[in-house]
Amino acid sequence: MNRINSLLAGVLSSRWMKALAVVGMAGVAEAQGGNRWAPFPPASDFGHRFSELFWLITILCSISMVIVVLLLLIPLLRDRARPGHKANYDHGSSLHDKRLTAVISLATFIVLDAWVLAIAMKDLREAYWNMPEVDQAETYPIEVLGQQWAWHFRGPGLDGEFGTPDDILEMNQLTIPKGRPVSFQMTSKDVIHSLFLPEMRTKKDVNPGSINKTWFKPIEAGEFTILCAELCGYAHYQMFGNLTVMEQEDFDEWEESASLLGIAAYDPEDEEAQWAWEWEE
Amino acid sequence: MNVSSAATSTLSKEEVRTRVDVTLGMIFFIGSWTMAFGTLFLSFLVLRQRVGVWPPEGIVLPSFPLATVATLILVASSLGLHRAVRAWDAKGGGGEREQASSAQRDWAVGVGLGFAFAVLQALLWADLLAAGRFPSSGLYESLFYGLTWVHAAHVVIGLLALLWAWIGLSSGRYGPNRLSTVSNIVIFWHFVDVVWIVLYLGFFVF
Amino acid sequence: MSGQHIHAEPTNFFRKHVFSVDHKVIAKQFLWFGLIWLGIGGVMAMMIRWQLANPGEPVPVIGSMLFPRTNGVLDPATYNTLFTMHGTIMIFLGLTPLMIGAIGNWSIPLMIGARDMIFPLLNCLSFWAMFLGGAVGFISLFVPLGATEAGWTGYPTLSTTINGVGSGETLWAIAVFLIGASSIMGGINYMTTVIRLRAPGMTWQRLPLTVWGIFLTSVLNVLFVPVIGSAMLLLIMDRVFGTTFFIPASIMQGAGGGDPILYQHLFWIFGHPEVYILILPAWGIIGDLLSFFSRKPAFGYRAQVGAMVAVTLLSAVVYGHHMFTTGLSAMLGESFMLLTMIISVPAEILFFNWLHTLWKGNLRLTTPMLFSMGVIFVFGLGGLTGIYLATIGTDIFLHDTYFVVGHFHLTMAASALFATFAGIYFWFPKMFAREMNEFLGKTHFWFTVIPLVTVFCLMFVMGYAGMPRRYYDHTSAEYLRSLQHLNKYATHAAFLLGAAQLVFVYNFIRSRWWGKPASQNPWEVGTLDWTMETPVPHYNFKEIPEVFTGPHEFSNPDIPDGKDWISMTEKLKA
Repeated sequence: MNRINSLLAGVLSSRWMKALAVVGMAGVAEAQGGNRWAPFPPASDFGHRFSELFWLITILCSISMVIVVLLLLIPLLRDRARPGHKANYDHGSSLHDKRLTAVISLATFIVLDAWVLAIAMKDLREAYWNMPEVDQAETYPIEVLGQQWAWHFRGPGLDGEFGTPDDILEMNQLTIPKGRPVSFQMTSKDVIHSLFLPEMRTKKDVNPGSINKTWFKPIEAGEFTILCAELCGYAHYQMFGNLTVMEQEDFDEWEESASLLGIAAYDPEDEEAQWAWEWEE
Repeated sequence: MNVSSAATSTLSKEEVRTRVDVTLGMIFFIGSWTMAFGTLFLSFLVLRQRVGVWPPEGIVLPSFPLATVATLILVASSLGLHRAVRAWDAKGGGGEREQASSAQRDWAVGVGLGFAFAVLQALLWADLLAAGRFPSSGLYESLFYGLTWVHAAHVVIGLLALLWAWIGLSSGRYGPNRLSTVSNIVIFWHFVDVVWIVLYLGFFVF
Repeated sequence: MSGQHIHAEPTNFFRKHVFSVDHKVIAKQFLWFGLIWLGIGGVMAMMIRWQLANPGEPVPVIGSMLFPRTNGVLDPATYNTLFTMHGTIMIFLGLTPLMIGAIGNWSIPLMIGARDMIFPLLNCLSFWAMFLGGAVGFISLFVPLGATEAGWTGYPTLSTTINGVGSGETLWAIAVFLIGASSIMGGINYMTTVIRLRAPGMTWQRLPLTVWGIFLTSVLNVLFVPVIGSAMLLLIMDRVFGTTFFIPASIMQGAGGGDPILYQHLFWIFGHPEVYILILPAWGIIGDLLSFFSRKPAFGYRAQVGAMVAVTLLSAVVYGHHMFTTGLSAMLGESFMLLTMIISVPAEILFFNWLHTLWKGNLRLTTPMLFSMGVIFVFGLGGLTGIYLATIGTDIFLHDTYFVVGHFHLTMAASALFATFAGIYFWFPKMFAREMNEFLGKTHFWFTVIPLVTVFCLMFVMGYAGMPRRYYDHTSAEYLRSLQHLNKYATHAAFLLGAAQLVFVYNFIRSRWWGKPASQNPWEVGTLDWTMETPVPHYNFKEIPEVFTGPHEFSNPDIPDGKDWISMTEKLKA
């Protein structure tokens, strides 16, 4: 099983496959005049795991579906009612049939589900569940407040503390550094929202009344998308924003100026802006 | 319990059959309603867990003595009705005069205590409202009013059904076979009783 | 069966056709009721598809009539109402009455050899509770301050007063509550009937699979519909009486302290079994029909029943896979992922047995048979795509995208709908004593299955490409604009799908009144419902029949006089 796994992983992550995927996506996009049939390539490390798992499931499901269709088509063409033709009288209740049922079902389960399950568990335990400890040198923390219908983001600023005047406040725009884990703590002012970052292949509900956590590690710099994935009322479809991932040097520069700008714009009277909470470890 | 005792009495085959049918339906109904109240109680436990300190400090609680008396009354009511039905059952509806009259007394006491419980429940609410605690006052009040409202609706339905059964009983409409209707109404009343005990334990004891 | 008396047929119009206690009349009531709602829900789907392909353009033909205020344009609020009510209607007022109400009521007493349901009055009450629920749901569309806009799941705090101040959402909750009450009444009745009123010789192992499916669905109805009933009560209290079960303190300025996530748990404790409530009868129906029209015994009858029982049990413990992005702990997430995957074992057993039933049969490709084979196809597509959503890693991305929409439409909507169509085409000759037109039926099938699969497979692509669901307009965000072309294709296919249903409506109406009179047993099958004369007399069976053979004894060499089928009331040779 391991050998098959590594073989498949090899194929999926091979340069050949990647080139094919890029050419495929770009080609389709070009041919359709900017229309696409696939997501933009993943930009987080977890996103690559997602992609590999997705294609593994797709291959396995396609094979299964082809088998089902064949087994529908063959009787459809071969065993149609006609004069003189008789059906095979078989209740399928013999010991042999029972064994066959059990073996085929279990084999399908192992090939289809257990394999996927094993890789999924591995991905989760190696990556997704391992929410990084906040260590200023390494992890970048972000506080998120959802509201109808806008995203508020708060960076800790230069002092690394939330709820201080030098916090970086952004609305429908989030700026983060590349190559470092970014850790999110999120809550909502009104209804349930869901922070959906399609290129990062991540999504987490933003619930009122409690703080939800998530994280990812961006590995590409650039401009990406923020969407809301949980129905949140009238303008749900307009609750989107922009995610900017910067190289570390650019980010340091940006962080300093944004933090200073935050201090300059700080207004203790403005209660709307005082929504920070103490970072939960 | 009803099934086996009915089978050993003088009921005809068809009567036994009907009784099993109806009782089976009632069992499924009670199972279903257990899930409904189970859901409410699950919500109670989850929300209670969220609050941390329970009952929340600094609020007026519903009267513990009143609730305790109400609980005892409801249990007594159930017991009375149970005794009545058992007596009728064993006699197949006819039987000796003395036993029949004691069964009727049990029945009357059971129904009367049921009404007494309803009055006490109303007093519990009145008490709390007088202290200025409304359903919208907080989570404790939400839970207390919400859960007792749903329970009280079943008390009202149960009492109406008991009265209806009583009318049927006193007009002699129930032969041995139709007694299953009465016994099913009483099963429902026992269920209402059990739900109240669980609520009582949740709100007043633990 | 001395317990079942023959009652005279009522002559009073109201007793005979409106408040009838006869299961056959109630089945027809459910049938018409369900078909009308299916039509309403379908028109809503067409309007949704129009808006998605042509955002902000007036809906043609019916738009200016329905939305005069906006000259036929759907505004976002109306759009939200439409998809909310589309979901609610299709599940609770379309498929539930058709499959469980109509087919259940029709087939259970006739297939097990009973004169009626065991509690006929409860049966009547069940229909009228659902009718009332439907009426309340319909009224909720027209109340001032707006109909429900919170999705068919009605998650707080969007569904509490924070957003919807009007009475529409409250009426929606009351409607769901009433429909739930109807389902519970039906469930208790069906369970007791199947347990108590089987004809002599109709052992559990001779029970037609249709009855098995509806029986297991009834078990789920009785156990899990009360959960949504209670959740709706709490939601109504939150909206009307100011309680705070689901409203957190942060929103209520400290007065509350409830938990919106609690509602999600309650909803899906019910919601996941609800999926199986709709699919179990479908599995049962096609388990029977595949055997009937392959002229072969149902392969692995016991394995099929066992698989259905296993699914019934497992359905209660997998609901968490609807909440992978809510913030479940790692332990819970992995447990639900594993349990969900395990449900595929009984599903695989069913597939294996269905396909084996067809193998080396003598296939009569009638309309019900085509729809039954269609179920295998669409449920295969839907079931397999479930693996993506059961796996946390892929679900995180695909959750709340069109991938999910495609998946559940193929599994619980299309599969259940196809089985319902198969059932209607199959029992129509007995129900209305007339035959449906086979050519129109087959046309209906092919023009349904092809666009349907196109629409929902396109949705898989959309979801994979990252398109979130419940968006009024996908052209507003840059990221989604490049996917708009998929919306256009899907809408064209959906319109074709909608148009194909007109063939069914025409066929149904024409056959109902002007169709060819049906013979007693046009499909040549042996179950008890086809042993009595057509039309079925008021009391069903003059003599309660005695059963000697199983329901699927096709092509048995021991059948007397050279037929390939035998009635369950006849004995095999030797």
